[in-house]
Amino acid sequence: MTHGRVRALITVLGLDQHEAGALVVSRMLRDAGMEVIYTGRFALPATIGEVAVQEDVDVVGVSVHSWEFLYYAPDLVERLSSAEPPIPIVIGGSIVTEADRERAIAAGVTEVVRAGATEEQIVALFARLASPEFRQALPHNERSFSSSNPLDSPQIGRIRSGE
Amino acid sequence: MLASSGRPASASTPDQRLEVLPLYRPGDVDIDYERDLADPGSYPYTRGSRPARTKAGHESSDQIVRELSGEGRAEWSNEQFRYLLEHGATGLDVIGDAPTMASMDADHAFAAHAVGNQGVSLTRGIDYERLYAGIPLDRVSVSHSLPTAFGVAGFYGAAKRLGFDPGLLRGSMILAPLFSEDTCYSHNVPLELHMRLAVDTIIFSSERMPRFHPFVEDTYFISDGSIEAIEEMALGFIELREVVRRTVARGLAVDAFAPRIALLVNCRMNVFEEVAKIRASRRLYARMMREEFGAEDPRSLAINVAAHTSGASMTAEQLTNNIVRGASQTLTLTMAGVRAMEISAFDEAIRTPSRAAHIVGIRTQQVIQEETGVGDVADPLGGSYYVEALTDEFERRIEERVHFIEGLGDILELSTAGFFRSIFAEAMVDRAREVADGTRRVVGVNCHRLGPEEDSLLRDIVEQRIEPCYDLVQEVKEWRASRDMRAVVGSLDALTEAGRSPTANTTAAIVDAFEAGASMGECIGVLRQVYGAPYDPLDRAAERPR
Repeated sequence: MTHGRVRALITVLGLDQHEAGALVVSRMLRDAGMEVIYTGRFALPATIGEVAVQEDVDVVGVSVHSWEFLYYAPDLVERLSSAEPPIPIVIGGSIVTEADRERAIAAGVTEVVRAGATEEQIVALFARLASPEFRQALPHNERSFSSSNPLDSPQIGRIRSGE
Repeated sequence: MLASSGRPASASTPDQRLEVLPLYRPGDVDIDYERDLADPGSYPYTRGSRPARTKAGHESSDQIVRELSGEGRAEWSNEQFRYLLEHGATGLDVIGDAPTMASMDADHAFAAHAVGNQGVSLTRGIDYERLYAGIPLDRVSVSHSLPTAFGVAGFYGAAKRLGFDPGLLRGSMILAPLFSEDTCYSHNVPLELHMRLAVDTIIFSSERMPRFHPFVEDTYFISDGSIEAIEEMALGFIELREVVRRTVARGLAVDAFAPRIALLVNCRMNVFEEVAKIRASRRLYARMMREEFGAEDPRSLAINVAAHTSGASMTAEQLTNNIVRGASQTLTLTMAGVRAMEISAFDEAIRTPSRAAHIVGIRTQQVIQEETGVGDVADPLGGSYYVEALTDEFERRIEERVHFIEGLGDILELSTAGFFRSIFAEAMVDRAREVADGTRRVVGVNCHRLGPEEDSLLRDIVEQRIEPCYDLVQEVKEWRASRDMRAVVGSLDALTEAGRSPTANTTAAIVDAFEAGASMGECIGVLRQVYGAPYDPLDRAAERPR
């Protein structure tokens, strides 16, 4: 099954420099026919929010191997839910425990992928969340974020699908 | 032979699967004892870097038992050290938190939620002093996973202020100038500056802390979760050779620093591959140092191999299985003659080591040492047809790969072009695929699984969270404003001058800068500028003091 219309942004938060998950999921989604934009390391929620809107992505995947995501999640949710329509967020990583999952979901993260998820499950999840119907049904945040600082963090090693 | 088509041949790792026979017989290996093996402590050191010695009765092992540690503020890590030493650790192994490992101060905006929750936060000279307060640095060896020059400058300065003769300090510093940016320790620093800091640290240490190993070629972090054992050592040797060449080019005789070179290798789950890798690496190193670099001092030819067991082999599923993995890896390393190791803790897949995981790691090493007898005889697997054949195979393939890559051109240019980065990235994807499709069997992950309701052992430990040290961020901010700015600015100007002079030593200038109250982030900032990079590429650090 291919998902040719889906555009996904894959990212790593803050100072988390473990990229294996991000690279692996990028490859999985690309192999499934999705268009993938990888921000590289050193991304803060402001950058992710702005790049997601500028690139008109349908879904954002955050690969985590540090606890920073627990603190950044509310800001990220606020920014991505202010897009029109809101952009769903998937957080994934083997370090995510059941309690972390509950905290992330409570903060408004759309879905959490933990250790043991299969390629089929991950691809199907991104495809489901990226659909216009799903996005339209997400809660919308009325606050707008101006682009005074277009790159809140520099894009280091930005890799675009197909390049 | 490539795992998949479509990659440029030069940027791919060749297939590294080793074809293993069901049985090894005398005809499968060509053993010339004096040429290829020799006794431990004799060239080419395949069987060990030091002569075998008989242990008398209950004499304790000379093994350095240590566990990776460092958490929160320096004071908390100091308590952690004391706990480990009280429970039988004979060495320390310090790792910085994410900001420290990126040469970033605790009050950098990017550091906000990462201060102290994955290692110790070390922004200032005073942090190192607090870290080592009350630790017998003349007796305990301290292994450091920290930004090279800052870790050495901090250790040296703190030891002096705490009243220790730097000449007595033992321990080591990992050195990874070539691969940090491509793997998980980017400092946003130009490669030439990474190399400069590495060489300056070696020169500084060989002059002022002669018992300290400032040059530990770390193949652990570049390989964990990605490349396999042959590529691990090939890339490690490429980096090591580049640093040796550059240090010699600065005028240091090879025998002046080579005795203090060590290897820190990974240890995955395949017992005999890891043993063969370590034995082959000792031999390859000895031959390379003698034949290529002209080293003559026997200590320059015999390399100490330390190891850290693979964190990537630890799973988030069925945590108790990780204790079994740690025990198997400890046994492997002991049979390979490794005398200093850290065991990745059972909670490694989820968090930095908990106290419970630390004690299990130490006890694992102690059980193997005290109860199994595997460390009683040097190189117990030597002479095995299989192990010797595999050792030969490793040596040959590592050497071939090193020559192939060096034949492609200048190493730093290759790195800049993304050559190594693509090797690591491809390997991460390949590894994940192998686990996903079951070609790499991992118990509890893709076979022999348990449902979540049954997989409950030790779960309470991995749910414990370490909060970021927001109070330390505030303390560093206030400290920054309270300093004698004339001294700080003067020391940063001196560091800039040292950076500009090709013969000055930047590590010595960092010692002075720490003494004057400059921070790590300020020091790396001015050095970045000398090397043509922005003071803070992320543009969120406190401003450079003027």
